[in-house]
This record gives sequence, structure tokens and C-alpha cells, in this order.
Amino acid sequence: MDEQNQTLSRKERRDLKREQKLEKRSQEQKSRTVRRVGLWGGVIVAIVFTVWGLTKLGGNSSGGDGPIAPVDSVTEGDWVSGSSTAKVTLIEYSDLQCPACAAAQPVVKQIEREFANDISFVYRHFPLTQIHKNAEESAWAAEAAGKQGKFFEMRDKLFDFQSSWDDKSDVAEIFATYAEQMGLDKNIFLADYKSDEVKQQVRGDMASGNRAGVNSTPTFFLNGRKLNLKNFSELTALVRQAVEQSKTATST
Amino acid sequence: MVRTKLAIAFLVVSFLGFLDSTYLTIKHYQGEVPPCSIIHGCEVVTTSKYSEIAGISVALLGALFYLAILLLAIGYIDSKKASVLKIICYLTPVGFVMSLWFLFVQAVLLKAYCQYCLFSAVTSTALFGMGMVTLWKERQKSSIPEIKNPPM
Repeated sequence: MDEQNQTLSRKERRDLKREQKLEKRSQEQKSRTVRRVGLWGGVIVAIVFTVWGLTKLGGNSSGGDGPIAPVDSVTEGDWVSGSSTAKVTLIEYSDLQCPACAAAQPVVKQIEREFANDISFVYRHFPLTQIHKNAEESAWAAEAAGKQGKFFEMRDKLFDFQSSWDDKSDVAEIFATYAEQMGLDKNIFLADYKSDEVKQQVRGDMASGNRAGVNSTPTFFLNGRKLNLKNFSELTALVRQAVEQSKTATST
Repeated sequence: MVRTKLAIAFLVVSFLGFLDSTYLTIKHYQGEVPPCSIIHGCEVVTTSKYSEIAGISVALLGALFYLAILLLAIGYIDSKKASVLKIICYLTPVGFVMSLWFLFVQAVLLKAYCQYCLFSAVTSTALFGMGMVTLWKERQKSSIPEIKNPPM
């Protein structure tokens, strides 16, 4: 009997010890889990907070040079051909030194002629300054001509004679000659060409293009929608479609 | 102790890289060019065709890369598993190779630099260096029979 009691109590003692051990372990595990949840929770909060902070930072630094022109409407500083009150807007981001833009030019001219009363065509500068050394200068030339009322005439001239100025080092003189041929005042043209106002205008167009996600030229926005064209004749068809739609919308 | 210090170094550097590339990602998807004061040409780099791979901003890929290393570093500090540290080390060449490619794009293809991209090249190179040193030290350690790494 006595011996049995002793073995029992020994067994009991052993059980008790094991239970205590288990409890200690589970408590350790619990505190570890709490620590882990705290750690990873903190990490997630910190990451979300960081991203949020950077978004705020991004938002603030953008508005340095006044409002950036949207791609779905005509703004005050824009060069518009056709009807400025039309319901259909076609905005082109273009680089006067880019060969593809020059290639698109006949189609653009045809659209300007055919839909003169039905669309607002807007030309915005997007000079690819790193690959085209005279791109920004040519944009200034168009702007400077625009100050004397011949923006689109200068644009056409620059596209037509692209190969005669694109690799030259002193383009100001060439552009001034073009201005003279168009009957513009050469001295006023050159003063405007070098002015900060003109440079600012071109930079503003570039900022608007960057915001709109323009990364190649020419890029067209038809009623605010970026077009992915397979060829330039597709552009005419899309514009025609938009014009017809706007007409049926107003007649019904 | 040395390992923990290394993990903290990974944590700090990857956090810097994460800040940088997240900022670029946000700018990219807002359709804006980040302010480029130090070096001319970052508008060219950040809006170039090389700034996306299959429509995904490379800045976003960078941000995810740094985030992965950041989380693994915290994971190591939490768990103290040597295998986690090893995964970090094996990840670092990915960022390094990407950075080499972007340096090539900037210097040769675009001839324009963006300071944010150069900063990312510095952080990813630092991570790569640390990763290689860690692997080398681990190998030295594991050649001594008493201290063995737990299996991967």
C-alpha cells in the first residue's frame, strides 16, 4: 500500500511538473505571438504611413508653375485651329524636330481643312530635348511667330523644312529667316524667341504632356482620350466618327 | 550579434531605397516629372520607354524589391533564422543587375541621368555588397564544424 502511494505521488508530481512546464511554454508562446503581432502591425502601419507621406509630398511639389493644361479641354494659352467652340477637341503633343511628327503632318493638315468648323485642334509642344537638339528651339520659334499671329504658319514651315535645320548649330538665324519670309518683324521675332515667356509656354506644354503620360510624339488626344494609332490615316477616321457622333447627339 | 547588425544594415539601406523608388513610382503614376535639380535630364529618363517593362513602372518593381528585402530583414530580426538572411543575400544580385542595366540605359542609350535612379543604383549596390560579404562570412563559419547553419 505504502509503496503504491509513493509511486502515485511520484507520478502525480511528475504530471504536475509537466503541466507547469507546458503552461510556461504556452505562456512564452503567447507573449511571443503578441510581440510578433505588434512588430508586424507596426511595420505595416509604418509602410502605409511612408507611402501616404510620399504621395502628399508628390502632390505638393507639382503645382510650381501654375495650372497644368488638361488633355480634354482647350485652355487659354493653347494654339487652336478650327472652331474654338466645337464639341470635339483634338489635341496633339508634337515635336517639330521629330520625323514621325512631320510624317503625320499631311494627315493633320487634312483634318484641319476637312473639319475646320467641327473640331478644335490644339497643338501643344512636347520637344524630346534629349534626342533632338533643336527641338526646344524650334518650339520657341513657333511660339515667337505666334506672338505675331503666325503660329501655325511657322509650324508648317518648320515641318516642311525640318531636314534643313534639324542638325544645324545656329538655328536662331535660320528661324529668323523663315520669320522674315513670312512677313514677320525679324527683330521682334528674335526678341520673343529668346524671351522667358516663350520658354515658359513651351515648358508648360511639356509639363501638361508629362502629366498626361505622353512618352512619344506625336501623341493625340481625341476628346481627352489618348489614341493608340496603327497609322495616321486611322486618325482621320476616328475624328470623323467623333464629329458624326457629336452631330447626332445635338440633332436628337 | 553580427548577423543582427547586418540585418539592421539591410533594413536601413533597403528602407532608403524603398523611399526613393516609391517616390518615383508615385510620380510616374501621377503622370508627373519629379523635380530634377541636381542633374539635367531626369524628365527624359523618367518618361522614357525604358521606364516601363510590359506596362509596369520599373520604379514600382524597384519599390517591391526594396520592400521584400526590408520585410525579410525584419523577419530575420524577429525569427533569427539564418535561412532568412540567406534569402536576402540571394535576392541582392537581382537589384544589382537591374541597376547595371539602368545605368547603361542612362549613360549610353539616353545620355541623360536622373538623380533618383542614381541613388537607387547606390542603394542596390550597397545591398549587393553586403549580401556578398554575408554569404562569404557564412561560408567561412560553416566550414568550421562546430557552428553549423540550420538547413535551408
